[in-house]
Amino acid sequence: MELIWEGVTEALHLIFSGDAYVYEVTLTSLTVSGSATAIALVIGLGIASLLAFRPPPGRTLALSAFNAGMALPPVAVGLIVAVLLWRTGPLGQLHLLYTPAAIVVAQAVIATPVVTALSTAALQSLPSRLRLQIMALGASRLQATWLLFREARLSLLAAAMAGFGAAISEVGATIMVGGNIKGSTRTLTSAIVLEGQQGDFETAMAFSIILLALIFVVILTFTIVQQRRPQS
Amino acid sequence: MFQRFSPCMRLVSILAVTFIISSIILGCGGGKEKLILGATTSVQDAGLLDEIVRAFEMHSDYDLIPVVGGSGQILEMARRGEFDVIMTHSPADEEQFIVDGEGLDPRQVMENYFVLVGPKDDPAGVVGVVSLAEALKRIASAEQTFISRGDNSGTHERELSIWQSLLIDPKGQNWYRESATGQGQNLLIANDDAAYTLVDTSTFVTFGSRVQLMPLVTDRVKPNAYTVIRINREKHQHVNVVGAIAFVEFITSAAGQCLIAEFGRSEYGKSLFVPVLGCPQAVGHLGLTSRR
Repeated sequence: MELIWEGVTEALHLIFSGDAYVYEVTLTSLTVSGSATAIALVIGLGIASLLAFRPPPGRTLALSAFNAGMALPPVAVGLIVAVLLWRTGPLGQLHLLYTPAAIVVAQAVIATPVVTALSTAALQSLPSRLRLQIMALGASRLQATWLLFREARLSLLAAAMAGFGAAISEVGATIMVGGNIKGSTRTLTSAIVLEGQQGDFETAMAFSIILLALIFVVILTFTIVQQRRPQS
Repeated sequence: MFQRFSPCMRLVSILAVTFIISSIILGCGGGKEKLILGATTSVQDAGLLDEIVRAFEMHSDYDLIPVVGGSGQILEMARRGEFDVIMTHSPADEEQFIVDGEGLDPRQVMENYFVLVGPKDDPAGVVGVVSLAEALKRIASAEQTFISRGDNSGTHERELSIWQSLLIDPKGQNWYRESATGQGQNLLIANDDAAYTLVDTSTFVTFGSRVQLMPLVTDRVKPNAYTVIRINREKHQHVNVVGAIAFVEFITSAAGQCLIAEFGRSEYGKSLFVPVLGCPQAVGHLGLTSRR
């Protein structure tokens, strides 16, 4: 219990003393997981609108795959992505391993099924005749999709938040493909692991609190956007 | 004009901007030639690895990428051609690695000692014995809990070699447990259970105040030696030979050896690792920063 208070004090101290290491690690976490979420959103919303509006044959199977993908074990993803990116591996030529970009790839792989599965459910729960009606009013396919996204925005933003949550809280794959390198691939989560291994539990606790605060601020922003009434 | 966008659109644009900024950040730093170093957890857990990386990058023109694992994992990945140079502490496996033609030019760079730690009341009565072997023998016959790393690390290999010399097979015994964790975590587990375990002196000093276990038997006969080995390019075409040579030269130079000698002095009042080749006093201070 004492350790938690020490962690809180240490966290406040680190944040307000402008510790460069803390800011660097926090910025890495935010940019890496932000990019992974952005990629997951683009891919996830694309697949979701396909599955919901123009169901290809085998939709149930595909959907089951994405639903199962929500429970994708990050350690397995880390191992697979790492082996693919090894310099002796099939994608070794890209020289991505042990770079922030490799973490973006791994986190995007983890977040994409979450976004896809939840978005598909969101779009499928719209009244089925809504799309026909919009199309009948002369909207193009793209316009119709956009309007339907707006209609389902509450659930779609929830999907985005879940995707971001999966990405930023991930650590197994992050260390495996990123390597936990100070100044480049050390994120908040991998810093927590390292500080713990070094026995510096106050700092580990402080980083945990900073991570929780960061997640809260980002999710708060999403939620404010989500809860705003549409200005139409 | 921003008002014209719907909230969703705004969020999308914020995400897009984040993405662009981050790709710019991620894109930077790709200019320098990469050198991949496979190193063991004990070097990272003590905090020395970050210092070595920082000093070598200042000293040279390489982007040094440290990859951390137990000695077993590091040697296995090296056999797959994933590293340019490695730093491990598992003598028997290293020898096999050289014999197999995987590695070249092994150099011992630093060492510390293995120490058997255990609860203060020492139920197995190992205090005062002369060797680790004798101490482990007493733990086995007293059936006192012993926590093993169990992860093919250098520490684990050392422990196994002692059991082997005693002709004791501890696996499966109810007093013998494998933690399968890194050096520091393993020590904490042993501490929680008030059990005996084998640890290196650097980790024990780093964890000092957090652990109630006492150092009982230190093995000064056979130090825990860390060796750097370059990977043989004839076996693995990706190996950066020039970079690996630069790293070996740096870590065996006066600058590298003094970095090792100085490490930990400001924080713990003593060196955590002993540089094997020695640090001439004149080169003493390198302006070491704290752990970060």
